[in-house]
Amino acid sequence: MLLDDDQVLIEKILDGSRSSFEELMRKYNKKIYNFVIRMVRNDEVAIELTQDFFIKIFSVLHKYNFQYKFSTWAYRICYNLVIDHIRKNQAYVDSLNGDSISQKRLVESNNFISEDGFDNLEKDEVKTYLWKTVDLIPMKYRELILMRYLQELKYDEIAEIAGLPVGTVKNRIFKAKELLRKEIDKDGMFT
Amino acid sequence: MECLLDEKIQHYIEKSLSSVEASRIRDHLIVCKKCQLKYKQYVQVENGLADPVYKNPPAQIVKNVMNKIVVKLPTYSSIFALIAASMVLLVSWIYIYFDFSNNSLIQALKLTSNSTSNWIGQVIKIISNIFSSVYSIYKSINKFFEIIFNVNIGIEIFGLSILILSMILVYALYLLLVKRSGKQKI
Repeated sequence: MLLDDDQVLIEKILDGSRSSFEELMRKYNKKIYNFVIRMVRNDEVAIELTQDFFIKIFSVLHKYNFQYKFSTWAYRICYNLVIDHIRKNQAYVDSLNGDSISQKRLVESNNFISEDGFDNLEKDEVKTYLWKTVDLIPMKYRELILMRYLQELKYDEIAEIAGLPVGTVKNRIFKAKELLRKEIDKDGMFT
Repeated sequence: MECLLDEKIQHYIEKSLSSVEASRIRDHLIVCKKCQLKYKQYVQVENGLADPVYKNPPAQIVKNVMNKIVVKLPTYSSIFALIAASMVLLVSWIYIYFDFSNNSLIQALKLTSNSTSNWIGQVIKIISNIFSSVYSIYKSINKFFEIIFNVNIGIEIFGLSILILSMILVYALYLLLVKRSGKQKI
């Protein structure tokens, strides 16, 4: 069986190489962390969950099936970890439902983003504003947008991770983009 | 002609429509200003999403994870210290157990070391002092147990200490020799 780059690393890790695990971690760190922070919207929790994710990956790596893509397997673990955390923490529930974005949330998000260094309005206003708005859309859309564009997954991979039919995934992503477009248009941020 | 549905425009941007349908949409976009505007906005949304604003993850993540998953490895100096401590304990135990303090050979060595000023004499003196200190500790422990519990278990405590120290030493050596080479089983 022909192994991809990730699988070669995994073989080395399973053979006892610590440095290979560090390499794997560095490869996925950015995408995982950004997915987590945009889901939980809290810096400390995001760091903790990202760490938990890598520790979990390390402890269950021997169960990984080489017939599947590592990234899909890993992202599913990450998704479950984050969703479990959100479900256990009722504070997040209010942002899980509803299709509209309130002005209050927009203000909250602006504060959150600026503090965390996302602010880059001068360089690319629309893009930055767009990603700020992503943080405000309901969870059921946000998680799919993040998987599609942050983690660069295909529709069928997202469907597998989220446990949804491919059609539903596509519809929700379209709906999410519609929400984003309307919101940005409403605020007159399109160039 | 009716305006295009948002979903149709998105499909058109994603190039997931049949060629016939794509042509129909293209034709509509040429004549309908409203849909044209929507199309342009969706292109901006698509381009913006395709180029995410990433935040750099804190360096502590990788560091903390590595610290948690990797067993702390002993240093060479700690191994040397462990070997030295084990040797001192072991020899002390033999010294005490066989009551070498009264052995004529040891007495002779002590006397010799007292009368010599070379480095061998100094080494014998140091070793003799270490053993004397250990012997004093042994006697104190023994006395303590004798007073409190009315038992004489000093030797057993010494034996147990040596056993525990030896086990730590063997484990540390195992970590040093097997895992320091960069191999660690999950």
